[in-house]
Amino acid sequence: MGNKRSQYLMFWVVAAVIFLFFFLKYVSPVVFQVLMGKGHPMPTPSTLMMWYMIMGILAGLVYATTSNQKFVDFLGFLLPGQGTFLKFFLQKIFFIAFPLVVGWFVYSYSLPGAASPVELRIQHPTLPQKYEKMENPFREKDADIQRKCIEEGKVLFQTYCRPCHGSKADGNGPFANSFRLRPINFQDPGTIATVVDNYLFWRIKEGGPGLPSESTPWDSAMPAWDGDLEDEQMWKIIMGEYDTAGVMPRQREKAE
Amino acid sequence: MIKLFKNKVVNFGLIVFSVVAFYKIEAVNAQASHMFRTYKHEVPQKLPENQNAVADGKKVYEKRCWYCHGITGGGNGPAAKTMFPKPRNFTRNEFKVRSTPFGSVPTDEDLFRIITSGIEGTAMPFWNTISETERWQVVYYLKTFNEQFKKDTSPEVLSVGNVVATQESIEKGRELFKEMKCYNCHGEDGRGNGPLTVAMQTQWNMPYRARDLTQSWNFKGGNTAGDIYRTISTGFNETPMGSYKDKLTDEERWSLAHYVESISKKMASDVVVKVKLLESGEMPGNPADEAWGQVTPMEIPLAGQIIAHPRLWEPSVDSVMIRGLYNDDEIAFLVEWDDRTNRQEDIFRDAVSLQFPAKIPDSLKKPYFGMGDSGGIVNLWQWKAYWNEGFGSVAEAPGSEPGSIMELNAKGFKKISVQPPEGQDVTGGGVYVNGRWKVVFKRALKTEDEKKDIQFEIGKLIPIAFAAWDGSNSDAGGQKSISAWYYILLEKPMPKTVFVYVLIAVVMGASVELWFLARLRRFPPKLEEDQE
Ligand code: HEC
Ligand code: HEC
Ligand code: HEC
Repeated sequence: MGNKRSQYLMFWVVAAVIFLFFFLKYVSPVVFQVLMGKGHPMPTPSTLMMWYMIMGILAGLVYATTSNQKFVDFLGFLLPGQGTFLKFFLQKIFFIAFPLVVGWFVYSYSLPGAASPVELRIQHPTLPQKYEKMENPFREKDADIQRKCIEEGKVLFQTYCRPCHGSKADGNGPFANSFRLRPINFQDPGTIATVVDNYLFWRIKEGGPGLPSESTPWDSAMPAWDGDLEDEQMWKIIMGEYDTAGVMPRQREKAE
Repeated sequence: MIKLFKNKVVNFGLIVFSVVAFYKIEAVNAQASHMFRTYKHEVPQKLPENQNAVADGKKVYEKRCWYCHGITGGGNGPAAKTMFPKPRNFTRNEFKVRSTPFGSVPTDEDLFRIITSGIEGTAMPFWNTISETERWQVVYYLKTFNEQFKKDTSPEVLSVGNVVATQESIEKGRELFKEMKCYNCHGEDGRGNGPLTVAMQTQWNMPYRARDLTQSWNFKGGNTAGDIYRTISTGFNETPMGSYKDKLTDEERWSLAHYVESISKKMASDVVVKVKLLESGEMPGNPADEAWGQVTPMEIPLAGQIIAHPRLWEPSVDSVMIRGLYNDDEIAFLVEWDDRTNRQEDIFRDAVSLQFPAKIPDSLKKPYFGMGDSGGIVNLWQWKAYWNEGFGSVAEAPGSEPGSIMELNAKGFKKISVQPPEGQDVTGGGVYVNGRWKVVFKRALKTEDEKKDIQFEIGKLIPIAFAAWDGSNSDAGGQKSISAWYYILLEKPMPKTVFVYVLIAVVMGASVELWFLARLRRFPPKLEEDQE
């Protein structure tokens, strides 16, 4: 005990929390950009940021209290006495920084705030019952007919959906920049690959306005195509859409 | 307390909860995210051009390109009907972005670059998503559509190099812009509103629009000085944008490029429009007022309205710029956007509208962003350019006529009502200067009609959305450019008391710290089994 490492326990914990802050603020947006293949950084929403920071601080405290030995070392950092000049120096920095950080918090909270609101939403709410039993009439047809439907569907997709969802079904159509809730990137494995044909059928038929309120229908530019497209066309578009995006619908559970 | 932290189950629960929260909930990206297609210069090692490569290129083409460019390369694929500009017709030599002389076909590298980059402001996607091999193959296949590729096998290629801009070269470029009559097409301020462009668009019905040189994101062949130098040197085939290689020296073309680069601006967008407190003086009622200079403008990207019938697939206004000011009684907005023409005809008129919810929402829930819905009424302020001629006649709105402002309410696309004359509270007007509309809206912060009119409150985020119409693009009614919901915020002035609070906080922080340390020193933590 009393080795060099544990003398600085508190310093390490605080450093880890500060590191976490910078990671969430500056590194993670880029990491998620790369992971999710987006063309822009994905800033951590401020409420989530707060949660992670609370978690981080708790984790630090949990670590510092895992044994009494650690706890003693942890607080020991603040005590005067034996120690190198470095420890003395860091101690003083802590003493000065703490009130300043408190002041900074108060200052930044009382600024005339212009933080954009976090607009949380659920992308895949439950499918309304009405659509649950529906089947894509073309999926059961023989391979030739299916091939034809896919081709027709692709052309329809390019005609009606392309300006938003993009020619490659990657969510980068020429209009995509204008909708803050961006048109969905269907190549992303977290989107249409996680649902089945009739889910898409519902979304295409009823569009944004058909969403429940936890999915912020008021922000969705997804048109309700009912009335503009025939049901058959929609089923074909769905087949063309999966094909263009290069993904498959989720496999249905076979068990009955 | 310590016990609680030690409880592994609690910790585990918290971690799982936060991971789930991140996974399940997709935050609407608060930062407006733009992914403009930009011209990329790098070209990798070329693939050998042979029969196999062409055959493979055909496969790529018939999988990815034919919907737009047509199965025989004629630019008339089935999806092309809703596009402007039309997809390239590969059977003609109408290639725009080239390093070869005017009238020549592009090099393989030119084709590779433009296919990789895509073309902003058009339907042409970027194809860096397919492999380099596939891109080379499709380039070789494209070349089979046009015999000219076989004839000009080694065209003279412009080498661009790099010349640094100076104040002088920019000034020289400004003069050349006048001397070479670039303004005939591009307009005096470069907004693409020159008299020739207007005539081509409105009288001769030609599909050419000179570039708005102030919008850097719309440059097809790249917006760096080098790219602009290349464009000026080689021109765009089969468009009015000619080559100036023989008319101007190398240095002069660089100067022009530097000048064009200096007037082209990035889109400065954000989510919250900050409405500034006007500390003194009258609220500006006119776009030329100096007070607007105090406000940092923000730009909002617009898209064609294709959500409900009748749709606008080929929008001509792609962004608006907004500023806001308020004082104790009033609020005013200045909205500006580029429009190549001031051409009004009966229902086809230049117009712009601001949309607010009729009531500031208490929660996240808002009316539908496109004209509200049965559950949420919106309040619209709509300005229209002046027109007062007989049926069918076309006229420019004169500078002396500021146009008219109307207040409406809507509960959906089909349920729109104009407020009665006594309910019309918004004043203001617009002017058209050098290819740009500037429109002011002004109203009292509060009105009597609380049901139908938005009542502004300081310090609250108030949703706002935009729409714009270009008469000469035959925009009218639902055929318009639209935006998503954004926010305005009437900024509180920074209270002087803030510093007092901060001071108190620092003192409190310091005292708590001292108390804690004093305690800690008096009763230093000890290990229970402190012998060992
Ligand atoms: C005006 C732009 C626009 C057009 C046109 C458009 N969409 Fe969308 N679409 C969106 C937006 C924005 C979203 C994301 C919000 C949402 O889920 O409602 C979306 C979401 C979707 C989803 C949900 C995906 C998921 O994983 O949750 C599907 C499916 C879809 N669109 C299919 C289509 C099809 C098929 C067409 C053409 C017939 C089409 N869209 C046309 C804007 C558009
Ligand atoms: C969604 C429709 C669409 C698709 C799909 C598409 N293009 Fe285009 N492409 C266009 C449009 C529109 C233009 C014309 C833009 C302009 O005139 O500014 C264009 C222009 C071009 C040009 C000419 C560039 C120049 O300098 O003049 C080339 C080359 C080209 N496309 C190649 C391709 C290839 C290769 C593919 C398939 C991998 C493809 N395009 C797929 C719409 C499309
Ligand atoms: C006769 C009309 C005309 C004249 C004169 C003219 N231009 Fe253009 N210019 C155009 C048109 C039309 C386009 C757009 C072509 C297109 O995108 O199809 C254009 C496009 C451009 C572009 C954009 C290229 C890009 O990458 O998108 C630049 C830069 C430009 N012109 C500079 C100039 C300069 C500098 C001059 C004067 C030396 C000039 N132009 C003179 C008609 C003209």
